[in-house]
Amino acid sequence: MKNHLTERELIEYQFKLAPEARMKETAEHLQGCGECREHLEKLQRKFAALDLLREETKISEDLISRVIEQTEQPLRTRVVRFKKPVWISSAAAVLLVGLLLVAAQLSKDGTKKREAAKETILAEEKIVLASKPEITSVRGLDKDVVKKTTFAMAPKGKVADRYVAVGGAAAAAIAEQAPFAPAGAIELVTLPRRDKVQLTIYNSADLTLVRERRNLTLKKGWNWLQFMWANTLIDPTSLSLEPLAQGDKIDIQQLVFPASLRELGRWLIRSEVSGQVPFEITYFTSGLSWRAFYMGTLSQDEKTMRLSGYVRVGNNSGEDYEKAQTRLIVGQVHILDEIAELAKRQYPYNEPVEFDAYGGFRALEEKPERLDEKLIYAYAEKELDTELRRKEIVKEGLSEYFLYTIEGTETIPNQWGKRLLSLDAADIEVESLYKYDEQRWGEQTIRFVKFANDEEHNLGQTPIPDGDVKIYSQADSEGYLSYVGGTNIKYIPVDEEVELNLGPARLVGVEPKMMDFKTDNFMFDTKGNVAGWDQIRTWKIEITNTRTLAIEVEITRGFGTAYWTMQTDIAYEKYDATHARFKLNLEPRKKQVFEYTVTTYHGVREENWIRQN
Amino acid sequence: MDNTDESLIEAHCKGDPMAFSELVRRYGDGILGYLMRMSGNHHQAEDLFQETFKRVHEKAHTFRGSQFKSWLFTIATNVAIDGLRRHRRMRVISLNQKLDCTDRNGEELGAVALADDSYEPLQEAAKAEQAQQVREAIESLPARQRATLVLAYYQQISYPEVAKVLGCSLGTVKTQMYRALRTLAQKLPDV
Repeated sequence: MKNHLTERELIEYQFKLAPEARMKETAEHLQGCGECREHLEKLQRKFAALDLLREETKISEDLISRVIEQTEQPLRTRVVRFKKPVWISSAAAVLLVGLLLVAAQLSKDGTKKREAAKETILAEEKIVLASKPEITSVRGLDKDVVKKTTFAMAPKGKVADRYVAVGGAAAAAIAEQAPFAPAGAIELVTLPRRDKVQLTIYNSADLTLVRERRNLTLKKGWNWLQFMWANTLIDPTSLSLEPLAQGDKIDIQQLVFPASLRELGRWLIRSEVSGQVPFEITYFTSGLSWRAFYMGTLSQDEKTMRLSGYVRVGNNSGEDYEKAQTRLIVGQVHILDEIAELAKRQYPYNEPVEFDAYGGFRALEEKPERLDEKLIYAYAEKELDTELRRKEIVKEGLSEYFLYTIEGTETIPNQWGKRLLSLDAADIEVESLYKYDEQRWGEQTIRFVKFANDEEHNLGQTPIPDGDVKIYSQADSEGYLSYVGGTNIKYIPVDEEVELNLGPARLVGVEPKMMDFKTDNFMFDTKGNVAGWDQIRTWKIEITNTRTLAIEVEITRGFGTAYWTMQTDIAYEKYDATHARFKLNLEPRKKQVFEYTVTTYHGVREENWIRQN
Repeated sequence: MDNTDESLIEAHCKGDPMAFSELVRRYGDGILGYLMRMSGNHHQAEDLFQETFKRVHEKAHTFRGSQFKSWLFTIATNVAIDGLRRHRRMRVISLNQKLDCTDRNGEELGAVALADDSYEPLQEAAKAEQAQQVREAIESLPARQRATLVLAYYQQISYPEVAKVLGCSLGTVKTQMYRALRTLAQKLPDV
């Protein structure tokens, strides 16, 4: 037997980490070695501390409800959307590539290649769809056909998307006449995926502009694209669709809202090209919101501060937004209608009044223009041209509004909230300021941290939106923080100073004492009544700084009248008609005392004050 | 009805709304406790908990096999490690806060403690201080070591099962466990 067990052997024995043979060997050694037993007991006592965290955790009913709700919600909200099985797109892609390769090898001229590509697209369609007879005439459409269409558009299962392109009259030569709204001629061409998405949240109006980029596979001819907003808060009247390529060969003809098919709209697209085309779809939704909050970390000497700004974006819109670039508008937006109300409408433009003889719906060629929509789209235009950038903070002024682009892209599922970093500025020079004003805060000194939203303070690139701010101070060199105080800040424009009220101070005290009071200079009227007099008060103010830092103290004294004069040895400013303000700088752990005598004038003595001043 | 974990997850996939709820209740305490020890923060643990069961819900159809518990803890571990990477926790000590004035569930301890005749403030404060030291010692461990320790010691999952959860060999688990304990031996307070 070897001498003594190592700590490793003891740990492995205690926690049964060693192989069985070695466990046995260790046990035998321990039986005969008191020193090792003692060492083991010492380790056991050490590890007994782990049991301090062994308390049982009980899950709350609230958390259970939240979990169940979050998992149920997406299924509930997607009753009419399409599923796009992954294998279909994969198979289609493989088939596409395969056919293209075969075609490229077999055909030597471009004509053959084009034919092969056309075949590929047709093959893809066959995979995705159950083929249906194409209807070129509106005659013969009846309600049964409409019902079949509705059924075809509501497959079971989990859904990927709300869009589906539906094909219409496809032919070598495009028919001049647009097909009627495709009650029966539903032919799925492809299922476009959301490629990029951008959210611009106008918090003040519960309004979000959503811009999505999707690749639609169009056929040459007339195409239908269907949009569904069931169980979401999307405003269907705001829907807009634009091709991002081949714009001269693609014409968005109209957007129709079939009366018999609720909560969906269809775009009619005339295309002179076939294949994939990137599109942008924009619309308004409500249910997305954001709020800002901040964390300031003061350096140990409290001369500088690091300010981190966060934005919490919440999504209750009924829709998941994956990898969304998030932009926030700071400022008030006036809108004519509440988007949430618009979204809940059974019909996008209220009850349809014009019914035609066949399908029971009407086509709306133009959506009504609203002033504020124009304004918001104008802002959005600026965003359209730029590629979505990752991990940058972009802030732009737009008229009297301000646009914040939050760092990176984020996935914000429905019912979820997410915290995003909006600003992070280090080494902001700050002043520690203490204020004493009995009329505002009673007999306590209030602590402030003062800085300016300007370049000198490593800020000033953007206004800072309203939000809660918590201030911490570095307690030691290891980075431990202590909580100093919290407050709410109002919107801070660029180049404006800000004072954060951190609440009552405990280490800085201001104690005023009245040392003398007298009345003087009485004046009497002709009847011998007192008509005027002066009150003379002498105050002693004692300021104590028990902090290890030099501080600035601002003491405001009110006199209850605008007729006053003051005698004192230290500088003061007349803050307003009835108040004087003293500003002092105190060294660390110092006490300062000063006195002032204030004379207030009353009755006809006020006239005397006016003459003197 | 056969109420094994596996039958419940199967029922959930078939659309039974009660099945998922039953699974959440069955493993709620264990998973939340695990995530609290992993994150050291109640609120973050709740977020991770929601994310864990969201992933379970999303991936339910991919579950194959007979070890739902291991699968669940694997998801929870991945969520926790991802979460820890994202939210490197900032330690905050409040100057106004009394020592351990809240328990790990975020509830005030003061009122309960005062109502209890046997309450001894000094001992309670010392215990709270030690618990904090233990918490800090565990939080100082690398994520995989921490996961191994919490699963094996607190969740009392056998080493072979921990290996399944973490997707590594039994030898690796034992090495991680030993390293974690070696570090803790230096950092744990004497009780």
